[in-house]
Amino acid sequence: MTFIVPIGPQHPALKEPAFFRFEVKGEEIADVDIRFGYVHRGIEEALQRRDYKHDVYLIERICGICNVVHTTTYCQAIEQLAGVEPPERAKYIRVIILELERIHSHLLWLGIAAHQIGFNTLFMLAWRDRERVMDLREIISGNRVTSATNTIGGVRRDVKPEHVPTILRGLDELEHSTKYYIDLFNSDRTILARCTNVGILTKDDARKFCAVGPLARASGVDTDIRRDHPYAIYDKLSFNVITEREGDVWAKSMVRLREILEAIHIVRQAVKEMPIGPIRIKVNLEIPRNEAIERTEAPRGELFYYALSNGTDSPERVHVRTPTCANFASIKRMFLGGTVAEIPIVIWSIDPCFACNDRVALVDSHTGKTFNLSLKELRKWRH
Amino acid sequence: MPRILPQVLRNLLRKPATVKYPQVRVEPPKGYRGRPVVDPERCISCWLCIRTCPARAITISKETKKPSIWLGRCIFCGECAEVCPARAITMTKEFEFTTLR
Repeated sequence: MTFIVPIGPQHPALKEPAFFRFEVKGEEIADVDIRFGYVHRGIEEALQRRDYKHDVYLIERICGICNVVHTTTYCQAIEQLAGVEPPERAKYIRVIILELERIHSHLLWLGIAAHQIGFNTLFMLAWRDRERVMDLREIISGNRVTSATNTIGGVRRDVKPEHVPTILRGLDELEHSTKYYIDLFNSDRTILARCTNVGILTKDDARKFCAVGPLARASGVDTDIRRDHPYAIYDKLSFNVITEREGDVWAKSMVRLREILEAIHIVRQAVKEMPIGPIRIKVNLEIPRNEAIERTEAPRGELFYYALSNGTDSPERVHVRTPTCANFASIKRMFLGGTVAEIPIVIWSIDPCFACNDRVALVDSHTGKTFNLSLKELRKWRH
Repeated sequence: MPRILPQVLRNLLRKPATVKYPQVRVEPPKGYRGRPVVDPERCISCWLCIRTCPARAITISKETKKPSIWLGRCIFCGECAEVCPARAITMTKEFEFTTLR
């Protein structure tokens, strides 16, 4: 007898509600069905009705957590359309903010992942350390989350020399605590029991379903846009692409944690090697008909932008493909054969831009009877 | 024994990582993008801020011909303060917009 467990779709406070329909045989998940589109906001259409400069601020609001990577990709695409190159210092500043954003996104992920496996102490510790990154971003860009730093042709704000010691001190503290978390993930029994051999995505499946970002790297696919298709000044910086072989939730956590260390390494290099010079150039924004694509490595994976200009000061078309969208194809394979208790952590392990599984209704497919489970009860679900 | 226990015990003796906000206030850093303020004395009515505002939050008063910023729409990007030739718009460090009547 199979039960149907619908998860979702409502949680208006969060960014991307989605609907999951699980078919379970006892504890085992037999099938999963996903539905999207609950937060369709018509942003791509709205982009065509504004001019290029106003679009930067609309693009920034596609995703709150990864707003800098969205604006960077957009600005790079428009710079490519207009045929201009931003100044060297602007590229360094972009990389500094991008990597600080990666650190904060991964720490946020770590906190919620710990919360999903019922490890609230680690949740609090991770979010305490995340505040340090937020403070650094506040110093550099003037706001904790929405940076409003990128603009077409460079950046709007300079990293001042008096900020450099503060940034380096903050990074030292972060490195110390990240190493502690890596140690914890290698040895803590609760984490190992809840994360190893859960939600496995094999290397072949990762290739077949076109997984991107940390999800693909945790399955052993060696892919990183920063190295394969360098943008900004990533070609001048040295960093490693982190891969793990296992493909389970533990490997995904490990990839993200080790990426924090790499990001700290990149920020240190960028702060040290930053040249002196202008941070912004003037761009004529009446761009003749042209098209451009731009790819960047967001904290969640590959972010893709397509832009088409038509000679006026607003774009003809801007298309966005976010990494979460690419990663959802592989989620079915990660669930099959798993148990109901694994659902929260496996959904969260792809780092989706939502946490909508707040309410679960169990439907008996024979009698059609529905009963509700809160996420709290779902977390306590045991065999 | 859980591995995180020593850290938990150490944190028990430390002072909290958070501040007790309404009693203790942390000054935002220099360059914080808080509430934008218009200085009507300095404004030369060029209205560049209106054209540059991405959220269309700036309106013009009919009598004085000076801009005023609608905070309900403002996204605190600071473009108006940057574009103003007379520096009549400044971003303050103010971030508490809720008021008691």
